[in-house]
Formats: sequence, C-alpha cells, structure tokens
Amino acid sequence: MVGKDCVAIACDLRLGMQALTVSNNFPKIFSYGDVYLGLTGLATDVSTVSDLFRYKVNMYRLREERNISPQTMANLVSSSLYERRFGPYFVSPVIAGLNQTTGKPFICGFDSIGCIDFAKDFIVSGTASDQLFGTCEGLWEPDLVSA
Amino acid sequence: MASVFSGAPPQGGPGYSFTQTPRAAPSGERQHGFYPYTDNGGSTLGISGADFTILAGDTRSTSGYNINTRYAPKLFKIGGEGPDNKGAQIVLSVVGFAADGDALKERLDTIVKMYKYQHGKNMTVSACAQRLSHILYNKRFFPYYVHAILGGLDEEGKGALYSYDPVGSYEREQCRAAGAAASLIMPFLDNQVNFKNQYMPGSGTGHNLQARQAQPLPQNDVEELVRDAFTSAVERHIEVGDGLQMMIITRDGIAETFTPLKKD
Repeated sequence: MVGKDCVAIACDLRLGMQALTVSNNFPKIFSYGDVYLGLTGLATDVSTVSDLFRYKVNMYRLREERNISPQTMANLVSSSLYERRFGPYFVSPVIAGLNQTTGKPFICGFDSIGCIDFAKDFIVSGTASDQLFGTCEGLWEPDLVSA
Repeated sequence: MASVFSGAPPQGGPGYSFTQTPRAAPSGERQHGFYPYTDNGGSTLGISGADFTILAGDTRSTSGYNINTRYAPKLFKIGGEGPDNKGAQIVLSVVGFAADGDALKERLDTIVKMYKYQHGKNMTVSACAQRLSHILYNKRFFPYYVHAILGGLDEEGKGALYSYDPVGSYEREQCRAAGAAASLIMPFLDNQVNFKNQYMPGSGTGHNLQARQAQPLPQNDVEELVRDAFTSAVERHIEVGDGLQMMIITRDGIAETFTPLKKD
C-alpha cells in the first residue's frame, strides 16, 4: 500500500492446507536490500522463488555494485516468472519499496506467469484477496501517513 | 481470479436463450437439460442502530456478463395496508436468484398481512423472523436460492436485524452484508461498525493493548458507511452498480432513498 512518501507491506504468518493450519510462523515477505517481495500461493514455490530471487539479486549487486531498485526488481520478477510460462510457479508476488534515486514509493503485483499490475494505490494477493480489496477500497485515501 | 467470473453461466451447460436450440449429437441422440436457478448478482447490506435499522441494496440485475436492468429493487416492505404496504414496519431484502426472491417476498408479505387480519395486531419482527426461517426450511430440498436479511424494530423499539442462509438458518446481528460483494463489504463493516482490529491509541503493547469497544452508531454515520461500502464494492465487482436503494426504519415508519451509483 502506498502512503505519503512511504510504502507498507504486510502478511499473515499462517501456513495451511485449506482449513487445516499447519504452521503459525510462516513469513511470506522477503527483503532484498531496499525492496520487499511478498509471495502467496504454494508454500514450496514461495520458498523456491524467494531463494531464487535472493540468488539473482545478490548476483545483480555483485555485478552492478549497487542495490536493485523496485522497478528493476519488478521487471526481474516478471521475466523470471514468464520464463516458466508453461510450468509456472504457483505464486502471486507483490513488490513494495522506495526508489533510492527518486525517493518515490513504488508497489506492484503479478499473476503467476509474470503479468505486472502497476497500481498507484494498493495491491492485494492470496486467499483473502476479496476481503482485502473491500477493506482497502473502503479505507484507502491518498497521502496516508503512519500513525 | 476464477471467483470474479463466478456469475457467468456454467460453461457447456444449458443456455437460457431460445436462440440456443439443442443441437443433435453425432449419434443422433438428444440431451435436454433444465437448470432451475440463475445468479442475478448484486449485493445487500443491513445495519441496526439504537432506535433504527437501515437496509440497502444495489439495483443492478445481471445474468452472466449481461445487465438485465439497472433498476430492479432488492428491498421490499413487508405487511402494512394494500399493495403499497402503507404503514409497514418490516423490510425484507433478498439477493441471489431474483425470481426466488420475489416469490419469497410475496409469501412473507401475504402471511404478515393475514396475521393482522386474523389476530387484529401487527406481527412482531421476532415472530416474522422465525416465520421466514420456517418458510425457507420448508423448501429444504429445493431451496429459495437467496440470502435474505430482515430488518425492523423490536418490541423495545431497538433496531432489529436478522440474516438467513438459503435454507432458513438465522441469527440476529448488528450488521450483515450479503450477495456478490459480501466478501468485500463484510470485513469493512466488521472494522467500522463493530470496531474489529481497532485499538485504543497509547493503551500499551501486547496483552495491555485495549480493544476499542463497539457502541451503537448514529443514523447519519450509518448512512454514510452504507454509501461508502457500496461505492467501494462498485469499484471492484462487476455485478454491483447502477443505483443504491436504502430503507431506513424508525418509529416514524420507513423512509426510502435512492442514490445513483456508477453504471460501468
């Protein structure tokens, strides 16, 4: 979610199979320097994809000698997912971060094969996306600040 | 994303149009089917206060990706005098399959009117609520395909709101959203009406954190919440839109309002 000169990203910690809760401590947000990546979907792919991007972002940092920007990360995620067009990772990623050069907040979401959703306000993902769409659409307004 | 398209008719299932005549299978045998239900989309919402109840519903009627009409009311006055229900004190809202909704409204209205002729007094909302449950359960194995919400004032003059599943299981509540956008509206209501997930600022951390206590809201606040809930639902759900019909039940009777919503 975008606010005044800030972004926020949040996830629950539940890991379950439909109604059965398997774990109460399964984080779904991963940090890559200045960029945060949220991953919902198939848990094994959440782990695989988060590790894959840790490797890719580390390689980027070694090559470029700088942190990856949220925009570049978005394109990296998109092309990496589309590479698996006919055998996709079952994840719906969300990116949030501040661009270190411009200072502007940036968020975006993806489907499982890498189509980017550049939203100006908020991105939701996962099993409660309908509920989150309703609350965000009802409560979000431009230039929100942290309490 | 499949949930977004849930309103569309079943793929490969029977059509509803006479232009789609059943085609002969290669073997020469014909198969006919009849599906007695349609989902007409739309959403309804009810909130009860200290001395009033508000029911609301959008007026769009859909079938798949088509719009049947932009004005099909989902709110009905129950009881009162004559076909205009003059002096009625109960409102029924129905969402789901519109034909079943109309049939259900017709049956409940007749029963509540007959009750007054036979007993010489108005039916209480609690009695009407239980009767509605029985009507729904009577068709347990061929249900009215609707989510009903019944609103009025109880014997103490407090706002009363009852919600139902299609087979008559019911409960008195403070607020309830039903229909296509119920999953979008209900968490918003939990937060803004019952103050769920809201805490007193500066009351501490962890177990010391004090939850904000729910209290009955003033009528104007509730009307504003209802409008906000629907304008939000219209943004994110294709089956909701066109118009917002509201009925406000107070001891002075039923006030009806209409607010336009986006038609896209």
